[in-house]
Amino acid sequence: MQAASSSRAERDLQVARVGVGVANRPLLIDVSFRLRPGERVAVRGPSGCGKTSLLRAVAGLDDLSRGEVTLGGQSPQQMGWPCWRRQVTYVSQEPVLFAGSIRDNLARPFRYRSAAGAFPKDTARAWLERLGLAQRWSEMDATHLSVGERQRVALVRALVVTPAVVLLDEPTSALDESARQAVEQLVSERCDHDGLAAIVVTHLESQALEWCDTSLDLREHVAREHEHA
Amino acid sequence: MPDHGALSLNGADLAIAAGLVLCAGLVSAALRLHLEAKLAIASIRTVLQLLLVGAVLGWVFRLERAEIVLGVLLIMIALAGRAAVARSSRTFPGVTLRAFLTLLLTGLLTTFSVTAAIIGVEPWYRPQYVIPLAGMVLGNSLTGVSLSLDSLLETLATQRGRVETELALGASRWEAAREPLAAAVRRGLIPIINSMMVVGLVSLPGMMTGQILEGADPVEAVKYQIVVMFMIAAATSLGCMVMGLMVYRRLFNDRHQLRSDLIQDR
Repeated sequence: MQAASSSRAERDLQVARVGVGVANRPLLIDVSFRLRPGERVAVRGPSGCGKTSLLRAVAGLDDLSRGEVTLGGQSPQQMGWPCWRRQVTYVSQEPVLFAGSIRDNLARPFRYRSAAGAFPKDTARAWLERLGLAQRWSEMDATHLSVGERQRVALVRALVVTPAVVLLDEPTSALDESARQAVEQLVSERCDHDGLAAIVVTHLESQALEWCDTSLDLREHVAREHEHA
Repeated sequence: MPDHGALSLNGADLAIAAGLVLCAGLVSAALRLHLEAKLAIASIRTVLQLLLVGAVLGWVFRLERAEIVLGVLLIMIALAGRAAVARSSRTFPGVTLRAFLTLLLTGLLTTFSVTAAIIGVEPWYRPQYVIPLAGMVLGNSLTGVSLSLDSLLETLATQRGRVETELALGASRWEAAREPLAAAVRRGLIPIINSMMVVGLVSLPGMMTGQILEGADPVEAVKYQIVVMFMIAAATSLGCMVMGLMVYRRLFNDRHQLRSDLIQDR
């Protein structure tokens, strides 16, 4: 991995000796890695090995059984949990949309007290357009969208929050080839322009090897990190 | 029998009333509803429980001592707390204690507000007033509390993804819980609001009916009933809100996580 500049190093995500799972049923016992701004790491491993649990724990939705996670040296406790999750944003494999239009869904995070600014409507709409959904912008009841459409809306909803790190749990599992490419391009662009870092759970060999900078293979409770050529 | 005032009932009158239940049992048998056994048990329980309560109340009314009245109230609250929890299809560790504390706080607060400030009962613990009023308050709040508890646990268990999506996007635990909480309180208040809407139109409330059968002036009975309806509405709303807040404090921790693992099916 390349050396990060000092200003960007302030947003390094450090995962240090993290354990996930309950004491008598550990999923992961010692996971450590560092993610610098702009980087993407693929998380791979067999079903049930703890990929989703790792993402949820990094987002602070579940407790760690050991170790710690920091962003720019700050722990979630220091940052405040809602602010942490705005910086380290988790997108579920089965994204939930709220009743209301796509626009309402994208604007929702800006209703919370942790929101720093106003809803960037034009940006959101432009990104949605790139994923082929802008024509349904103000359509009522986004809950009726297909899984693939929900995945794309949920991705844009996470990106407009402008987190430092986005945690994507199989973000393209319900998408066809062209939609998958559009998603990867949009995320890559945010990585290059804003220094967004991404942890991506994926079963796709090409997505891991070609799109991500490194892979984290989870097997038998531990993680092995591989840099890609 | 006297031809005015309160008519006292004898054993034969109660036997005729039992005959009415018997008719219901025969209908059940004819239609094969298989409710005869339940109906019989319910009828026997009604008789035994009410006779027992009559005896206990007679004793408490004669003694008229504060500690005994408070003791009776505590037992009533404990039973109401257990009943409120037992009706919910989901549960979590510590739910009964929270229902008890909720009803203790809101039940006593509303009952004694009415007896002290409105009726002006002397002494403050006079059992003829305090115990029946507390009974009405608790009976109604436990229905509201159990409905809202059921609604809240149902939402948090089945819509965990929705709540966690809010948390994942930077909502505080309060922001993530607010909608399920509001829906739960609304659910708990529906019965009392419905009965306030139709009170007197469809049916006369039990207490008012009792007073009128006793020979009281209907206008006086109505005044009491208004006080009672407002008291019940206040107690039920307070009960639903306090219980909702207690569940919220238990199921959302200070790390703003939803502890859905604590919710169990019954």
